[in-house]
Parts: sequence; C-alpha cells; structure tokens
Amino acid sequence: MIPELGHIILITFLVVSFVGGFLPLASVYFNNQTLDIPIKRLTFFLFFLIFSSFLILVYSFLVDDFSVAYVAQNSNINLPFYYKFAATWGAHEGSLLLWILAMNAWLFSFMYLAKSPDKNFMKVVFSISCQVMFAFALFTLLTSNPFERILPIPPLNGSDLNPSLQDIAFTVHPPLLYFGYSGLLIPFAIAVSAMLFNTNTKEWAAYSRPWTLLSCAFLTLGIALGSWWAYYELGWGGWWFWDPVENAAFVPWLLSVALFHSLIASESRGVFGKWSILLSIFAFATSLLGTFLVRSGILTSVHAFALDPERGVFILGILGFFVIGSLLIYSLKDFTSNEVKAYELSSKEFGFLLNNLLLVILAVSILFGTIFPLIYEAITDGKQISVGAPYFEIILFPFALALGLLQGMALYLSWGVTASFNFLQRLTLESISLFSLVLLVLFILFDNLYLSSFATIFLACWIMVGTLQISKKRNLSYWNFLKKRMAVTFAHLGMGILVLGVGVVTSYSLEKELILAPGDEFNFGDQTIKFKSLEDTQGPNYFSKLANINFEDKEDIKNVITEKRTYIPSGQLTTEAGIITEPFQDLYISMGDNLEADIWSFKVQIKPFIRWIWLGALLIAIGSMLSGIKRIQRS
Amino acid sequence: MNPIRKQRLYALVAILIGSLLATWLVVSALSQNMNLFYSPTDIKAAEVDEMTLIRAGGMVKQDSIIKDTGSLNVTFTVTDYNNELEIRYEGILPDLFAENAGVVVRGNLQKDGTFKAIEVLAKHDENYMPPEVAKLINEEKE
Repeated sequence: MIPELGHIILITFLVVSFVGGFLPLASVYFNNQTLDIPIKRLTFFLFFLIFSSFLILVYSFLVDDFSVAYVAQNSNINLPFYYKFAATWGAHEGSLLLWILAMNAWLFSFMYLAKSPDKNFMKVVFSISCQVMFAFALFTLLTSNPFERILPIPPLNGSDLNPSLQDIAFTVHPPLLYFGYSGLLIPFAIAVSAMLFNTNTKEWAAYSRPWTLLSCAFLTLGIALGSWWAYYELGWGGWWFWDPVENAAFVPWLLSVALFHSLIASESRGVFGKWSILLSIFAFATSLLGTFLVRSGILTSVHAFALDPERGVFILGILGFFVIGSLLIYSLKDFTSNEVKAYELSSKEFGFLLNNLLLVILAVSILFGTIFPLIYEAITDGKQISVGAPYFEIILFPFALALGLLQGMALYLSWGVTASFNFLQRLTLESISLFSLVLLVLFILFDNLYLSSFATIFLACWIMVGTLQISKKRNLSYWNFLKKRMAVTFAHLGMGILVLGVGVVTSYSLEKELILAPGDEFNFGDQTIKFKSLEDTQGPNYFSKLANINFEDKEDIKNVITEKRTYIPSGQLTTEAGIITEPFQDLYISMGDNLEADIWSFKVQIKPFIRWIWLGALLIAIGSMLSGIKRIQRS
Repeated sequence: MNPIRKQRLYALVAILIGSLLATWLVVSALSQNMNLFYSPTDIKAAEVDEMTLIRAGGMVKQDSIIKDTGSLNVTFTVTDYNNELEIRYEGILPDLFAENAGVVVRGNLQKDGTFKAIEVLAKHDENYMPPEVAKLINEEKE
C-alpha cells in the first residue's frame, strides 16, 4: 500500500502545482483578490508533498520492496543500506523525483529567504516555477512512474544497482548536479516575471543574482564530483572525457557563470538588462536540453541510463514550451530598457561584455559539437559520426586563453572608464616571477619541463596574481582588502589553481600498460612497482581479485591495493583503482585483464597536480556560495 | 558619436569578431575530428583508406576473442550478423567488453582487411548499447 500512497501524493502534487501554475497569474492579470491564494503556504505544501513522495520511494528501497519495479531494477537484498538509499536516484525515475524535489527546495528557499519584492512579482515567479514543476511531474507520472508495481508476483530479489554506481562519490554527485541544474529555474522565473512587469533592471538583477550564484556553485560541485568519480571508479585515470553527458552539464555551467557576471553589471549599472534576460532563459533551457540529451539516449555516452525515445520527445516538448513561450514574451512585450550610463572600451562593463561573449560563444561551440552527430545523421539520412575529444580541446584552448587573460585584469577595471592601465606592468612582472617559480618547482619535482604546458601554466599564474595583487587605490590593509572581497578571491583563485592543475596534468602525466605476475617488478618514472601478491576476497555483493602493489622510490615504500570485482547478481566486472595521493602527484594503478593463471595486465599512471583541478573547482564553488549567501543575508 | 551608439558599435564589433573566429574554429576542428561510423557491411562496400580514422562496431562474436599471453595483443571479431570484421588491439580491454555484447572501436582499416583499433569502447550495461550498434541490430532484425 505504501508505494500507492507515494503515487497518490505525486498525483496530488501534480494537481496542486497545476493550480499554482495559473491561479496566481490570473489573480495578477485580472487584479482579482478572490483568486488570491497564499503562495508561501502553498510552496510549503508542495514541498511537503514531493518530499513525502520521495521519502516513500527511499523507504521502498530500504525495505527491499521489489514489487516496485524501479526498486527491483535498481536494488538488491545484499546491497549495503547506504547504497540502497543512494539507489533511489540511481536511475531515471528516481532522478526525476529528486529533480522535482530540488526545484521545490529552490522555490521554497526563494519564497522564504528572498528580499520580498513586489507581491505580484513573487506570484508570477511562483506560478512559472509551478508550471515547470507541473510539467516535470506530468512527465514523471506518464512516462517514468517510479511507483509502478510488478504485481501479482513480485520478484524475490532485485537485479542490483549498476556496480559502478556503488560508490561514495556517486551518492552525492547526482543530488548536487540536480540542485545545480534545477536552481536555474529561479533566475528563469525571475526573468519572465521581470519581463511581464517591466521591472527595473537593477532591481530584478539584484533578486536574481544570489540564486544564480548558488546554482552555479552546486553545478560546479556536481561536475567536479562527477569528474573525480570517473577518475577513480572507471579505472581509466581520466578526469574529463568530453562525453555528451559531461558537456550537457558543462554548457549550463558556462552560461550560469556568464549570467552571474552579466548580472553584476546589470545590478550595479543597469546595463545588459535584455541580455541578462535572454541569458537566464537560455541557461535554464540548456539545463533542460541536458536532461533531454541524457535521458533520450540519442547520443553515445558513458552514462548508461535505460532509454526510451518517447521520453526524449516529451522533454523536448517541455523545453519547446518554456523556451518558445518566454521568447515570445521577450519579443512581444514592449519593455523599454532603462536609462543606461555610457561606458568606454576600457571599462568594467566592456570587460563583462567580453567575458559574456567568450563564455557564450564557447558554450554554443561545445553544444554544437555535442549535438552535431544528430544534425549530421539527419542531413545525411542516417550516416553516423562522432565528434572526438580533440574537437573540444581545439575549441576550448583559445577561449580559455582569452578568458584567462581577461580574468587576470578583470578586478582592476573600473565602471565607465578605467583611468589607467598602470597595473598591467606589475601584473606582468609578478606573473612572470610566479611563472618562473612554478617552472622551477616543476623541474625539481619531475626533472623535466614541457614547452606544451607553458601557456597554460603562465595563464594560471596570471589569473592568480591578478586575483591576489593589492590594489593601491584603497586605504585598506592587504588582509582586510582580501577579506572584503573574499568570495571573488576564492572563486578566481580557484580558477587559477584549476588551470594550473589542468596544464600540469596534461603535459606531465605518465602512463603505461604492463604485464606482471606476483613477485615481478617494473621501473616506472622514479618509482619501482612491485606486484607483491594476489588474493581472493569477498564483499557483501561481490567477489574480487585483489592485487597488492608497492610503489617504491628512494625514500619511501607505499602500499596500495587494486581490485577487479565481479558483482554477483549481474556478473558485471568493475575495477577499483589503487591510488596513492601525494601533494604534487597521484600514483595510480588499476588491474586489467587476467592473461593466464596469476598473470595480470595493469595500467599504471603518474598524475601530477591532478588534485589541484578539484581543489580549484571546490574553491570556485565556495566563492560563489559565499557571494550568494552574503547577498541573501543582506536582503 | 553619441556615447550609447559608440558603445553599441563596440559590442557589435566584438560579437562579430568573436563569432567569425568561433565559426572558423568550429569548422576546422570539426573537419579534422569527425569520425564516421561503419558497420562490417559498410566496410565491405565502402572504400576506406588506411589513413582515415574511423569508428566501427557491432556485436563481439562468440568464441572470437583471442588474447596473446605474453603481450597485450588481442584480436576479436565483430559482426552485424551479415558480415564480420576482425579487430586487432593492443591494450587493456574495458571491463564491460564481452562476447555477445555491443562494442565500438576507433582506429584504421588495414590493407589486409583487418581493423587496427586504438580505442575500444564498451561503455554499457546489459540494458544499454551504443546507439550505433543498437541501430544496426534493429535494422538486421527487420
């Protein structure tokens, strides 16, 4: 009975969100008090409904209710309880429920925390959000109902959660990503509302900015965790594959970064009003498009979701409705732009304009490469192609270079016109000093300098120096100055660290595939790899071959274990990489194939500075979160 | 010039330059990195020279996987149930690589008619197959 209860609650949610989707709108439009409903309380009610529904699904997982088809497909009696919990979002149906829950959580926070703008403004934001949630709930109920039952005879055991998802990073990666994606709903709803009421640019930009920052922070964390998970769980040691699903998250991330930068200018100077509105619409649209690409399965991807073209069409319908609808409002509604202060080429405004231009063109180019196989298939009548990773790297490099150069200078620009570019001299000098220092450290650590990494490393130094350098204009001590702009310091410094990590790991990585029998040794870089022993072990729902490996150098012997697991219900193999993390490098080994008896192949890698990539991403997320929270508190 | 118009001009010029550069980049990058997909049957029919990097795929034929013991060389046959293609690869195969499962390989066709793979992709679970392979198999069934 309990799953039915969840189903009924979800249907109730659908009905209530439908009512919420048009009643407040109607009351604003007809200026009719009798149509008024208490939107704050309704938000709470909606949240309560979706949360209960979600909890019931979690409960079904925890008690192994295999009469629920979704549970039977994604869980198993022997699955540890924390993975049963996480299995709730292990596949499509539960992910959608979590997604709606996330949208609701955002709306809930907005309704209760936002500086209460005009009451009517709030009503429209509420209604737009309800419409989107209604569409998602309808989609869930019609095509992907998580509460569907296998009756009258339920299976005795479930077919298990995909083994590569049985992992700690996976338990948090999807929720963070969904919170990031769905957070873009709030800026979208605010943008539509701002169009309808012809709200002053400075005013609505101030409403929107903290929420854009927060969803960007969640997206950053979600993407970084996904990258980290792929790195150690898939056993290839790669951290970014330009997989369509990764791109589907990267594109909204780029647009959300563009959006909150544009909103800074909009809030402070009243410029880029229309542009910020368009960007809000498209950031939200790409987050829906991401869902479509992932869930319809029309692109080859490492992410294995059960696929259904019908779902693709439905999501495309939702996407079309909201994008075309909001663009229609944009083109029909005569909202005159506010009085704008002029700016010069050297101004901060122009800096933001360039930043947005670069980010948006980059996002479009990546999106184009991601969906190009579909376009090609359509125009050539079924010929299939794929666009390789080099495409994205070729595209990314010049844009990243330009963006990084701009970022280093960005904090010295002034509104209207920048009086002097004297800072450039010091910036260049200090960047070169830091650059030389980094090269020296790299040479000491790895006995080698790669010309190919110079541009990226210099860029990283440029960004870091540009972030940390003291501006002489202010009468503040250095620390007070940094404290005052802590958020941007964190975020920009994080970007510098990330770029440094990328630059070093791309050029300095070592990789080798070897064949070893127990007792064998192999010299790799400055390390000697010793295959000490091979053991058989067993886990709760798998058995595994376990290789005991030593990495030895002059100073130290480090022991690590790599495993080849066979999961019992599905028979699927997974590799657990053995990783030794040092401040400047990761030593990485993963088991390959069993060639004969105890002889195995191994893939061994040295990954310098790889942790810096995720550290950088973490700082970016902290920075945007600090800024977002500060702005919410201020109001 | 009116400052507002001047500032529009700046924006316009920036957008124009940016878009032109991006278009040029996209077109040149795409033409180098577009890998066509061939089924074993397509390969029989088409003229593919050994310089061109392509992707091929199908189902891994039962009992066709031969692993060398002293090295990482492996050969296997993929089939679309019409024609077959022998694949040679040196390296560690992905965990999800198995007989009777879909696989996509990237590499070059050799003069002797075999395929030298530089990458083997078998990123799927039992419910999922690379769309290219799924499509192939559906076409065969019809």
